[in-house]
Amino acid sequence: MKPPVFDYVAPRSVRETVDALGDPGRTAAVIAGGQSLLLEMHLWRRRPDLVVDVNRVAGLDGLGVDGGSLRVGALVRHAAFEAPQAVPGPLGTLFQQAVTNIAHPPIRARGTLVGSLAWAHPASEWCAVALALDADLTLRDSDGARQVPARDYFQGPHRTARRPRELITSVRFPLLSDDTGVAFIEHRRTHFCFATVAVSATLTVRDGVITGSRIGLVNASDRPVRALAAEQSLLGAEIADDLYHRAGRAAAEQDAAPVAEPFADPGYKRQAVAVLVGRALRRAAADQRSRAAGRTEGLR
Amino acid sequence: MKITLTVNATDYPLDVEPRRILADVLREDCRLTGTHLGCEHGVCGACTVLVDGEAVRSCLMLAVQCDGRSVRTVEGLAGADGGPHPLQRAFSAEHALQCGFCTPGFLMLAAGALDADPDLAEHPERVDSLVGSNLCRCTGYAPIRRAILRAAEEQQRLDLQA
Amino acid sequence: MSTWTRREDERLLSGRGRYVADIQVPGCLDAAFVRSRVAHGTLRDVDCAAARQVPGVVGAWSAADLHDLPPCAHATADLPDLPPMPHTVLANLSSDEAVAGREWPVLVKDRVRYPGEAVAVVLGEDRYRAEDGAAEVTVRIDPLPAVVTPEAALDDTVRLFEGLSNVALEGSTGQPVDESVWQHAAAVVEGRYRQALLLPTPMECRTLLAVPDGDRLTVWSGHQAPHRLRRELAAALGWPAERIRVVVPDTGGAFGSKSASFPEYVAVAFLAVRLGRPVRWIEDRLESMLVATRGRGQDQRVRLAADADGRLLAYELHIDADVGAYPHIGAGLPMQTAWMATGPYTTPRVHATLRSVLTNTMTTYPYRGPGRAEATMALERSMDTLADRLGIDPAELRRRNLIPPDRFPYETPTGRRYDSGNYAAALDLALESLGYDAWRAEQARRRADPHALPLGIGLSCYVERSGGEPGGLHEFGSLEVGEDGVITARCGAASSGQSHETVLPALVAASLGVDADRVRLVDGDTGEQADGVGSFASRTAQVSGALLSHLSALLADEARDRAAKLWDLPPETVRWSGGTVHGPHDGAPAMDLAALVRATGPLRVDDRFESAMAFPFGTHAAVAEVDPELGTVRVLRLVTVDDCGVVLDPAVVHAQAFGSAVQGLGQALYEGMCFDDDGVPVLTDGLLDYLLPTAAEVPPFVGRDTCTPSPATRLGAKGAGESGCIGTPAAVVNAVADALRPADRDVLQLPLTPERVWRAAR
Repeated sequence: MKPPVFDYVAPRSVRETVDALGDPGRTAAVIAGGQSLLLEMHLWRRRPDLVVDVNRVAGLDGLGVDGGSLRVGALVRHAAFEAPQAVPGPLGTLFQQAVTNIAHPPIRARGTLVGSLAWAHPASEWCAVALALDADLTLRDSDGARQVPARDYFQGPHRTARRPRELITSVRFPLLSDDTGVAFIEHRRTHFCFATVAVSATLTVRDGVITGSRIGLVNASDRPVRALAAEQSLLGAEIADDLYHRAGRAAAEQDAAPVAEPFADPGYKRQAVAVLVGRALRRAAADQRSRAAGRTEGLR
Repeated sequence: MKITLTVNATDYPLDVEPRRILADVLREDCRLTGTHLGCEHGVCGACTVLVDGEAVRSCLMLAVQCDGRSVRTVEGLAGADGGPHPLQRAFSAEHALQCGFCTPGFLMLAAGALDADPDLAEHPERVDSLVGSNLCRCTGYAPIRRAILRAAEEQQRLDLQA
Repeated sequence: MSTWTRREDERLLSGRGRYVADIQVPGCLDAAFVRSRVAHGTLRDVDCAAARQVPGVVGAWSAADLHDLPPCAHATADLPDLPPMPHTVLANLSSDEAVAGREWPVLVKDRVRYPGEAVAVVLGEDRYRAEDGAAEVTVRIDPLPAVVTPEAALDDTVRLFEGLSNVALEGSTGQPVDESVWQHAAAVVEGRYRQALLLPTPMECRTLLAVPDGDRLTVWSGHQAPHRLRRELAAALGWPAERIRVVVPDTGGAFGSKSASFPEYVAVAFLAVRLGRPVRWIEDRLESMLVATRGRGQDQRVRLAADADGRLLAYELHIDADVGAYPHIGAGLPMQTAWMATGPYTTPRVHATLRSVLTNTMTTYPYRGPGRAEATMALERSMDTLADRLGIDPAELRRRNLIPPDRFPYETPTGRRYDSGNYAAALDLALESLGYDAWRAEQARRRADPHALPLGIGLSCYVERSGGEPGGLHEFGSLEVGEDGVITARCGAASSGQSHETVLPALVAASLGVDADRVRLVDGDTGEQADGVGSFASRTAQVSGALLSHLSALLADEARDRAAKLWDLPPETVRWSGGTVHGPHDGAPAMDLAALVRATGPLRVDDRFESAMAFPFGTHAAVAEVDPELGTVRVLRLVTVDDCGVVLDPAVVHAQAFGSAVQGLGQALYEGMCFDDDGVPVLTDGLLDYLLPTAAEVPPFVGRDTCTPSPATRLGAKGAGESGCIGTPAAVVNAVADALRPADRDVLQLPLTPERVWRAAR
């Protein structure tokens, strides 16, 4: 299980990085946290002949809000989102709930959010969150930068719109409004495996009516899924418990396209999607109510 | 590639292939075989060491990435006076090891957490999260959890006395 | 109090343990094997030429390049733990003709029979280079249909060995049950249980380092039975065993998986000898998952009959066992299940039959609790089905049938003679420790509440066998006293984490009445101890412990004899106490061991000591809550009550019992493999696919014990450490079945994955 031979460079700037990636004679891989890349290399599934280590590149470790969005640089580790208030508002709550499902502390201390987007594993938590929230990725090569919305980015298991020469420098997530409740729920067989299914859900409620919902499905297809049919079933409806159940069924039957895995056939996965979407929405609704109560409390 | 690793406060100037993982370089180039390889794909955690104080899987890090950085392994766990670390004593007292193969990984994971979090004893859920990070096939984990809590409590008492 | 609880602890906690991979030998080469990607096929071509050109590669060989490579030892008739085979088995497996036809080659010659079977070996200056070379070997295999379950292999439409049946062994115990018994019984329940193939998964994979020196070879291996390994390597190399020394350094767990020799071991030893260079193989995790031994693997069919009061009338068990691609020692394991089929009950008629079936999987082998775990699962699941059928509480049904204490020694209808037991006491303690009645009340409350998650209580009463089988119930060893008074104990055991260095010297010290610090243990080394059997079948305390106790008595006798001669006293007047020989009265001479040795010369006693089988038992109980929508199982409470007779070191035994129970939990809920359409296990992401229990899965636990000494063993000790793998799985499965009460309980097959539980709950 030893990695094959490769060359290694540790550039100091984005410019040097994209120049290295642009070398036409070589298959290059970017290493940031390395928690997925080295797994793949130990298993001989990836055999780059150049590894470009971006850990010493200045300016990639930024995490902060500007405008209405959160910008996450390529070197921001998963662990950064574990702290309360690392990210403001409901988005922070969602991130905090999502991140605790990613592996465990030593992996979260090294691995990065952007790295997860680059790896694009169908069971990645971040990929589904990014897709559901309309995140926007910034990719650079030696010719310049381009923005790719998450909906155009994910193309299959470990397949994305990123070109081999490109570095993902950052990703932007729109902040969530205060009248939005959130929940992230994951189901897996033990603490140590990929999600069988997980769901990221937001629910925006104004005057008792659902005005918005974003639902991301983890491992419900060969790529992350945004559960548009489920979202549609909620819009304009008044808050009610049976809604969530219906949305769950819609997600399972219309949005999910599950792939069979050991010990989880597509039928079971659809069931898990239905159940988890229902539960996530209920929890998001409760979160929304407690936020509203908190605001009222604050006003008094 | 020429690099320098500072392992347990000793500098090791080394010439290593970029592909060599930190664990292999510690074991073979530095001859510190206390760090064990249990799975080589980042799951079991037997190879956990501290890099600049942070617990990492040394099978998921290249040695060249640690150039100029400080690494602490189980061989560097004992106190400066050579006396055992509270974790070492607590693991023994609680029967938190049987075959001992996974033990260095659990020790370093816990050592990193104890250094970073003097109040660990008051947060059993953080201890749960630590113990839930590595695999052990002998003990069933509960003794490891008790050992880490025991060491954390001892450290807290010492801190209070100091 | 000393800083260290166990003698092993100081080095293992400070990074100074020495496992095989830690041993530095100058010029040592690393082996990497090129493995078949298909489960079954005809090997057409292996080309190692490109591999030999890879920098750092020292050599690369296929079977065709190594004509004189001996086959892997066929150990079926040569493992003391194994049952003496019925005659048919001997004829099938151990006649020269049959073995020759089912030879396990070290490297595939013409037919691949399991996925990952080695087709070539590459030696490199280090493992990186060896793997670089292995990647350059090209292999051409024409796939054949693969059969990976006994069911698929039984009809011989696909044969693993041309002209020979896939059924490698048939056996039975007990007498066939007359049809009238079934017809007249008040209740007859049936069940079909699949015992999944399990990966033992010690944290250290298999290891072997072979260091030649002239006409001698020193082998370092993480191993349970070094003398056996020496014997088998000697046979493979055609050497006298005396020229090989096997040393077992620190070993990172075994659980039954490191007790034999394997093709890779033979290849490494052979190449080391041929090249005159040290060679090692440090198995990596992916190799281990693909080609290390598997445990369990039985398809069982049972019938259990009782009268209206719940008194058991008859039990019938049929096993189709998956023994893997070669009839190695796993072929005999199902007999272990058959012999233990009676369990802890007074069932008057028990009949067990079995077929050991070859399949295109790596060979099945002992895994913690082999044979007994399968016997317990089949019987205890059936007991719950029967309780349900009769409307009798499962605890009460068991109590009515447990063998009472005054019936021991008890001859079972399946050929076992149980030594001692108080089975009802273990059941009662388990129920009390669990709070059985309170949980039944909680269950009733939940059943009345449509919003509550279903909850179930599962029991499992087990009896197992420890020590080994007749022919393998002995051990060899010695005690030697130095002039400094230090006592060195030697024996054929080998520790893979069981605290031998702590427990066995303490036993010798207690037997002799000396301070434990004066006694040290040397085990796991054929250079120190000429003969030995090893550590498996929970035999070390029971058998090696008995040996060392016996040797202590011999040593005391010898010391008294010498003192008597020295002092010119009748030997019977010389007393031994506290490590000192005393004359017959106050003021008479006294001399401690060190002085005695200085006065009379080296003092050493050697012996072989025969022990007996013992039958540990207990009751395990689990409470489980099921989320029927997702099929997830949460174990709310696990109670184990074990009785392993006299316990040498309670803390050590309890620690092993708990670890074993957590493995049992894994067996019930998490551990198992799927195969793809071509018969290759789906283990793409290694330990992210084969799921061991983690700390997050460990339930609240109460471990208790009772003590019924074995009258058959010198110390009264029975084997410990396998109980959790034997008793816990059925308790957990029964709890889930009790929560869901599915119409068809057979839907609940191991492991109880969420998908299976969800289907059972629908």
